[in-house]
Amino acid sequence: MKMKQAKWIRLSFTYLILCVAALIVIYPLLWVVGSSLNPGNSLTSSTIIPEHATFSHYKELFTKTEYVTWYWNTLKICVCTMSLSVIFIGLTAYAFSRYRFVGRKNGLMLFLILQMVPQFVAILAIYILANLVGLLDTHLALILVYVGGLIPMNTWLAKGYYDTIPKELDESARIDGAGHLVIFFKIILPLSKPILAVIALFSFISPFADFILASILLRSDEKQTLAVGLFNMVSDEFGNQFTLFAAGSVLIAIPIAILFIALQRYFVSGLTAGGTKG
Amino acid sequence: MEAVPQNIKSAQNKSFHYQSNHRKTAVILSIIPGLGQLYHKQWVKGILFLTLTASYVAVFSNLLNMGLWGIVTLGTELPRDHSIFLLVEGIIALIVITIGVAFYAFNLYDAYQTGKKRDAGMRPCTLREQYQHTIDKGFPYLLVTPGFFLLIFVVIFPILFMVFLAFTNYDLYHSPPAKLVDWVGFQNFIDMFKLDIWRETFVSVFSWTIIWTFTATTLQIAVGIGLAVMMNQKDVKLKGLFRTILILPWAVPAFVSILVFSGMFNDSFGAINHDVLAFFGVKDIPWLTDPFWTKVALIFIQTWLGFPFVMAMTTGVLQSIPNELYEAATIDGATSWDKFRTITLPMVLYSTAPILITQYTFNFNNFNVIYLFNSGGPAVASQNAGGTDILISWIYQMTMTSAQYSKAAAVTVVLSIIVILVALFNFRRTKAFKDEGKV
Amino acid sequence: MKKWLASLMTLFLLLGVLSACGPKESSSGETGNNGSKETKPEKLVIWEDKDKGAGLKPAIEKFEKKYGIKVEYKEMPMLDQQDKLRLDGPAGKGPDVITTPHDRVGPLVTEGLIAPLDISSDVTGKFTDSSIAALTFKGKLYGLPKSTETPVFIYNKKFMKKAPETLDEVYKMAKGNNSGAQYGFLANWTDFYFAYGIIAGYGGYVFKDNNGTLDPKDVGLNNEGAVKGLDFITKWYKEGLFPKGVVGEKAGQTIDGLFTEGKVASLMNGPWSFQPYKDAKVDIGIAPMPKLPNGEYVKTFIGVKGWNVSSFSKNKKWATKLVEFITNEESAKIRFEKTQEIPPVKSLMNDPIIADNEGAKAVAIQSERGIPMPNIPEMAEVWKPVANALQLAATGKQSSNKALDDAVKSIKENIEAKHSGK
Repeated sequence: MKMKQAKWIRLSFTYLILCVAALIVIYPLLWVVGSSLNPGNSLTSSTIIPEHATFSHYKELFTKTEYVTWYWNTLKICVCTMSLSVIFIGLTAYAFSRYRFVGRKNGLMLFLILQMVPQFVAILAIYILANLVGLLDTHLALILVYVGGLIPMNTWLAKGYYDTIPKELDESARIDGAGHLVIFFKIILPLSKPILAVIALFSFISPFADFILASILLRSDEKQTLAVGLFNMVSDEFGNQFTLFAAGSVLIAIPIAILFIALQRYFVSGLTAGGTKG
Repeated sequence: MEAVPQNIKSAQNKSFHYQSNHRKTAVILSIIPGLGQLYHKQWVKGILFLTLTASYVAVFSNLLNMGLWGIVTLGTELPRDHSIFLLVEGIIALIVITIGVAFYAFNLYDAYQTGKKRDAGMRPCTLREQYQHTIDKGFPYLLVTPGFFLLIFVVIFPILFMVFLAFTNYDLYHSPPAKLVDWVGFQNFIDMFKLDIWRETFVSVFSWTIIWTFTATTLQIAVGIGLAVMMNQKDVKLKGLFRTILILPWAVPAFVSILVFSGMFNDSFGAINHDVLAFFGVKDIPWLTDPFWTKVALIFIQTWLGFPFVMAMTTGVLQSIPNELYEAATIDGATSWDKFRTITLPMVLYSTAPILITQYTFNFNNFNVIYLFNSGGPAVASQNAGGTDILISWIYQMTMTSAQYSKAAAVTVVLSIIVILVALFNFRRTKAFKDEGKV
Repeated sequence: MKKWLASLMTLFLLLGVLSACGPKESSSGETGNNGSKETKPEKLVIWEDKDKGAGLKPAIEKFEKKYGIKVEYKEMPMLDQQDKLRLDGPAGKGPDVITTPHDRVGPLVTEGLIAPLDISSDVTGKFTDSSIAALTFKGKLYGLPKSTETPVFIYNKKFMKKAPETLDEVYKMAKGNNSGAQYGFLANWTDFYFAYGIIAGYGGYVFKDNNGTLDPKDVGLNNEGAVKGLDFITKWYKEGLFPKGVVGEKAGQTIDGLFTEGKVASLMNGPWSFQPYKDAKVDIGIAPMPKLPNGEYVKTFIGVKGWNVSSFSKNKKWATKLVEFITNEESAKIRFEKTQEIPPVKSLMNDPIIADNEGAKAVAIQSERGIPMPNIPEMAEVWKPVANALQLAATGKQSSNKALDDAVKSIKENIEAKHSGK
């Protein structure tokens, strides 16, 4: 009887906390949706449940701004960044996890250190480099910079995951005569789908969130990404378009959220599936 | 190339007598890469090395020439020389040289090793064996190379540029095309500690940076782990729904959320004061005009932004903790709290420690949230920085007003060194790192 | 063995440095080409402000016809133009003419990005004196004015029939809450750009003006007048006439929002806001700023946007000609018609096209009362400390006196640290 009571208390407490957390998470997000439907222009008039809800800001996005172009550019950049990162990171992490080679430990250390250096002065260097090799104002430059920036952190994640895949699997395959690449593609790759999905997601969303690099490397309007376009809507001191910004943000957030939800099972059942059980 | 010393040393330790001296001959010949290999009758390899060397010289000689001249002088004549471009070319030249030297060292090492084998009476490897050997030994390098190459140009090169910049006097008054930039040694670093205005504000900004880093990060980790643990209790229903909702902050681009929060926290018109606090009957709180409340708001926002990542990661780890551990604990009569404290928490912290440390370093330099929320404000009496400026945003604001690039670089270098040292110190104590040590 | 490798590396570097003798040819030959013998170029490139191309196009079409030089124009935000010029210029891809707000002239000249112009006084005499002064740095003219702007008094006709004569009247109306709007008057006075008019009206100044040259050592932002000005400003905040939510960096956006929602009877803002307000269906009236209680005019900051010639341009003479052409009376008039930007051309000030336009007239009159923003690089050190002082005084955390003293101290230290001995 006592146990049942304790369980009941524990569970209600849990639900209470989870509900409060969910509310805190959802409130600002609903508020953005509310703003995007508000007829006015600015933040101050926005309410979570607008009185005269209107889709006019969404219409405006498509008729008065380059939203569609930005969206297309961003998607293009995202897909390329994602594919390249998954390939590079997948292979690099495989090497770090499965092979013992000279420079391995220093390499891992280097990856950790590199993420800690604040880079805003370095942006100038990226700009000049891009200019020197003629990649300024191209999406390729941006993609390469994103992929490079994603490598250190995500290699650690992927390596950690590979480490949990039992080595015995590789070894028995090797005894059966499988080569390096065969082992990678036949054993590691299928088993590491979850982490690769996570990395794919990370790299897919990073261009959505960056407005600094993109605004520096891309000069022409028609090449701009969503983040830059949206940021300009609110950073412009003299033409505040908060509601328009909100509408634009909602249209970004929805697909990403769906993607997150779709890939959720990888975070969960997958992330360390082989893990310590193996 | 770092392989050289160890292997040669171990060879020297072995005390058998060689009948011939192919080693020396090959190494000497290899001063021109490829010749040593040809001497060993490794024709394909030799020719490959020779061609590589020739093309290296042909392709890069101009870059190396200009680059090294440029990085030493930073230009001598206006308006022909643009110091910053010269610096960039110089750094690229250094990178190219490093790659070249690595190749060169490998060439010598290879000639020596093959020579040693011959001296020991073995025949040099055939091409097929070479190929096998390369695949076996070189495979990891092959895997790492593309990523690493990108890393060099996209991440390492800019950092090098910053470090070099810290030793120049590049600012508004020493800026091409009007002026050349010069090397000034450690002057920027000395100035940093000498100037009153920097020193006076430093203490207050530094202490808030530390408080910010620890509170915001610890909170986001605690909330993330806490929620993950609660959600993953066996008897909790609607796991999927909660998880979906709670992960949403991660799915929305951070700058969008921060800007939205900035509007919601407006003292007079924001939703927090207007709707939420009014609902609970709390009076308006000066979120954006009182430093204390801005700090509270910032920490809240960062927690909101950062916990889903920790939560997702923890969820993964939780599911990998063997059930037997919990079962054994239950038999021993442990309470849920005991289990959390002795099994769950250590397991989670151990396996995610490196990532958690990076969360701290990330917040230490979290420019975006500070800048976008209230631009480091509100103002505080008799100091140079805003009430919520952390080191990085303060430096940005101090240096960018007058294009003080070299000073900004110098401070960034110092900051980076501090962060890296602290982080490394902690890394060395994590389990993940110690495991690596066992290799 | 490690040492051996290291020394090998050093040797390599040394060899490299020794052999690196740098560029072979010197550039002395090509620098002297800006004389009068400059040949007529095939085309000139000009960068225009964002969304303002319509005001430029007719002028360059005429220029092309008259001189047979093709002119290519591109729209780009003004601050981007500088960043881009900095890198594109040396690479030889830069434009011949750019446009900048005049307060960037000093820094751009110091960096060597824009060139002085050789323009006769009959041409410069056509522009208002203050606009020419704004584009002059260290005694040399670096551009011709394209447009001028300064904050004016804007009111919602729903609440106000006509603009009051003095700020005292405005104060009484706001205090008595008798305009019918939630706020009688709002201004972004924790932003120095807007607050300056008040402070200067009471006798404060940024840098002492010694016959056209500004003295960065003489900062007049904590003199008696400046303190009085700030006292006047803080009164509005302390008495709750300006709510707490319009303090700080984001205040401008909030004020804009409140005004377009019809919650504010009147405010202080620049000409860039006229169209957005009209678009938001607010029936606005525009007037010069009402007088201060001490009988002085509000001496607002004047901003002048100018055309400048890039110092990387190979056709400086023709670029200058182009600048003269696109700022002449005819082109200026077209610019006003197309973009509503007000050119500081003397003869246009009384032209019906401006005199009959309420907004343009108000800006023109207010411009005569205002003072050009300082264009020396030292100005960069002023904004933040003064904004802090304004905020601290407005929120009652410091007295006006102390706040301004602190700000001036900080400005002087920063100027000393970043702008001395150069």
